[in-house]
Order: sequence, then structure tokens, then C-alpha cells
Amino acid sequence: MEQEPNSRLQLHNLQLAQANRTVLEHVDGRFRDGAITALVGANGTGKSTLIQGIMGMLKPVAGRVACSVPRERRAWLPQQLALDLTFPMSVEELVMTGSWPSHGALTGYCARHYRRGREVMARLGISHLAHRPLGELSGGQRQRALIGRTLMQEAELLLLDEPFANVDSETVDVLMTVLRDMAASGATLIVVLHDMEQLSRLADEVVVLANGHAHWTSPQAILEGQAPIAGTARLTLGIPGVSTC
Amino acid sequence: MLALLYEWLIAPFDYGFMRRAAVGGLALSLAAPPMGVFLMLRGMSLIGDAMAHAILPGVALGFLLAGFSLPIMSLGGVLSGLLVAMLAGSVSQMTGHREDSAMASFFLISLAAGVMLVSLGGSSVDLTHVLFGSILAVNTTALILIAAISSVIVITLALIFRALVVECLDPLFLRGQGMHGGLVHGIFLGLVVLNLTAGFQTLGTLMAVGLMMLPATTARFWSKRLEGLIGIAIVLAMIASTGGLLLSYHLSIPSGPAIILLAGVGYMLSALFGRHHSLTARLRRRAAPLGAPEPH
Repeated sequence: MEQEPNSRLQLHNLQLAQANRTVLEHVDGRFRDGAITALVGANGTGKSTLIQGIMGMLKPVAGRVACSVPRERRAWLPQQLALDLTFPMSVEELVMTGSWPSHGALTGYCARHYRRGREVMARLGISHLAHRPLGELSGGQRQRALIGRTLMQEAELLLLDEPFANVDSETVDVLMTVLRDMAASGATLIVVLHDMEQLSRLADEVVVLANGHAHWTSPQAILEGQAPIAGTARLTLGIPGVSTC
Repeated sequence: MLALLYEWLIAPFDYGFMRRAAVGGLALSLAAPPMGVFLMLRGMSLIGDAMAHAILPGVALGFLLAGFSLPIMSLGGVLSGLLVAMLAGSVSQMTGHREDSAMASFFLISLAAGVMLVSLGGSSVDLTHVLFGSILAVNTTALILIAAISSVIVITLALIFRALVVECLDPLFLRGQGMHGGLVHGIFLGLVVLNLTAGFQTLGTLMAVGLMMLPATTARFWSKRLEGLIGIAIVLAMIASTGGLLLSYHLSIPSGPAIILLAGVGYMLSALFGRHHSLTARLRRRAAPLGAPEPH
């Protein structure tokens, strides 16, 4: 398969296990810089495991993750958020927390950070919600705020686990535009997706996880059912909306 | 009228022990409420209570060995508090039981052990002092100790503040940044123990947690913002500790319960008349017409 010569994120013969059970093995491949890679696979094929491995939260059993992105430029939005929504924090404050890993936990924000925070919120269409407590947001508004935090972080590697679940269609459009812009400015994005229509709109590359292995392919191959692996993936996935594509 | 006010509010502070107790109370009021706010926001309001019991055996042991010496008793308190916290943590890890059940078991054992130790070596007056505090005991050494501990707490809290906020809000984000949430959490629990040790002299081991939690839970009725919660809680704690001391002086009651009861009255009134979530706020909300601006 053709690969970019430069890649910030490469997997070398990676083997990952959860509770002493191997979930993925012999995973070799590169994620293209400035591209959006969709991660697809049935439940339990190791999508979350792979993401944890890439984020460095799960130690590989064998092989390695070669990632040249510094920690503070890596962002991860898990599907099951650990976010405490009763915590008294406004949308603006949440977005601003994205900036402290890069400028340190001890120094305060300056005017430049606040200006950037306002730009980020405007881009996501949540300026009017700046002072709204997190607990009073809808699912879509919350997702926009969280993406705002990763924008603030100037993330170069962004891992998203089903970012469009329980999100209104207008938010999906806004988020897709923002994610495309991030990729265009050089960031590496990995997105777990189930919906084929979203995959066709967003993905530049696809990684299919099945039977403990990962296979790199193209969105076209998946959508047209050309890649043999895509066929099995579609079968095992039971992907909604696949017949309309 | 003015003379009466003077006699009630100012004259008691002619006495050195009242001045020292008041300053000690104000120092504690700066350090304890922010801890209480974080404990409350993390749904750990009762952990403070458990820790207060956990410091008792150490305080009692210090009392047995060195008499009524605050530095020795405080050191004992810190050590036993940290020991119980670690034991509870490791028991729950080894057995798979939830940490709160391990904590509950250990704090009951601690309370019983502490009371027994004090009874072995002292009178029931000593026991009352350790459990419920005594303003008479705050000498200059004690005051310096309280002020020093409070300063350490405020400074450390300022240093870990942002990490603590992020750890409360979204532990995964903190982990993703390569910061260990457990470390922040551990430092925070250590500060809670320190705080309780500083507080037991005026308030007693059982009441010290009151100055931490009650202003924090009361502030919840008045603010929806973190800064607001902390600021209001500090002011409430200052009023309660100074007012409680005066009550204790005039009515000859132990200072700990007087201070905490005063804070308790504040809590009850706020539950009835506060701006947010109180009984009257709920009634007002029901009456607000459609499209009315939200109260902030």
C-alpha cells in the first residue's frame, strides 16, 4: 500500500492486550499526516484498545507505537465521557482548559488566550453559550465545546471515538467542517465511525479491525465493497445505512 | 446600645486567648472551605468526616505521650490520618470492596481506638477537649502551627488548583496530558488531613470537618461558579468561626459545637432562602413566565 514518507504516528508489529487477553496483534502501519483515518470494526474488535495504545495509556505486549507528537498536542475524546457535568464550569472555561497543557499549569491565561478562546467558540457556533454551565448543554453543544478544547490545545493528533453519536445533524456538519480544517492544517485525525454515510463524507483512509488484525484500505473500497476485507467488515459490522451508499 | 454591642462583640477580644482563637479561626477559615468545596464537588463530602475520625488515634497517642502538646498531637494526627487513608485504599484494592466501605470500617475503628486511648490516659475533660475543642488551649505555639499549616494548604492548593479542577471535571483529559490524576488526588487528600489536624485545637477532631464542609455546602445555595463557591464559603466560615467563638465565650459552651452550629444555622437558612436550588428559589422558578431571563 502507498504510504506517505513522513508520518507522525506509526505502529510497528504492535500487540495489545486487555486483562491478559490479546485483542490486537501484528499491527503494522502508518497514519498519514494531515488526513482523517476512519477506524471501523464490530464491537469488541479492539477500536478502543488501539486508541488507548496510541494514547500511551495501555502498554504494548509487543512491538511499539512510534509517535512524534508531544503529549500536550495529543487529544482524545472517548465515547464514554468521564466528564462530570455537575461541576460548576462554563463552556468558555472548558474550552480554555485546552490551553493550559501547553503554557503550564502554574501561569494564568493572558489576553491572547482569551482572544483565541473566543475565536474557537465562534468557529464552532457556541459563542452565545460561553457562560452557560456545562450541565445545561445539549449533547451537540457539549460535543462542540469539547472539540473547542482540542482546537485550543492545537492538537496535532486527535482521536475521536464516535464523535457524532447523539449529536444533531447541524452539529455534525459544523464538526465535520472543523475536523476537515484541522486535517488541512496538518493534524492527524483518527475517528471511530459506524455510519457509512459519515465515513464517505469524512474519511481519507480507513483502518478495518477484524479478528485481531488491522487492515489499511480506502473509503472507496469499503463503500463499493471491492476490498475483500471490506466485505467481511460490512458483514460483521452490520453497518447502518450501508445499503444507501 | 453601643455599649452593649461593644460588650458583646469587642470586649471578649480583650483577652489574649480569645484573640488567639479568633486569629486561628480566621486562618482556618481561609484554608478549610476551599477543600470542602472540592470534596463536595467530587461527591466526597463524607470522606472529610471519615478522615476526621482517622486522625483521632494519632492525636490521642500524642496526648498520651506528651500531654496537651499541639505539635506532637498534630504530628500524630497527620500520621494516623494518612495511615488510615492508605490502609483503606489498599484494603479496597486487595479485596475489591468499594473504597467507601473500607473507609467506613476504618474510621469506626479509629474513633473507638482514639476514645479508648484518651480515656486510658486522661480524664473526661481531656476527652471533651480532644473531641470538641477548647479555645483556652490555643497558645502562641498552637497559633503559629495553625497559621503555618493553613498557609501551606493555601499555597499548595493554589499550585495544584488547575490540575485539581481538570481532575474533578475530566480525569481522562488529565491522564491524556501525561499527568497522574492519582498524584493530584493524593496531594489533595494529604491537604485534607493536614487541615483537620490544624483545626482540631479550636474545633475538636470531630468538629473540625464542619468548618470544611458546612460553608461549602451552604455556598452551593448562593453560587453556581467555582470562584463564587470558594469565596462565599470562606466568608461564611469566617463569620461562623468568629461568631461561634463569641457564643462560646458568652454562653460558656465548647467552641467547636458553637462554631459549627452557627454554620449549621447558615446552612438551614440558605436551604430555605438561597438563590439557587433553595426552597424559595424553586417556588420562584415555578412562577417565572415563559421566556423570562434565567437567574444568574
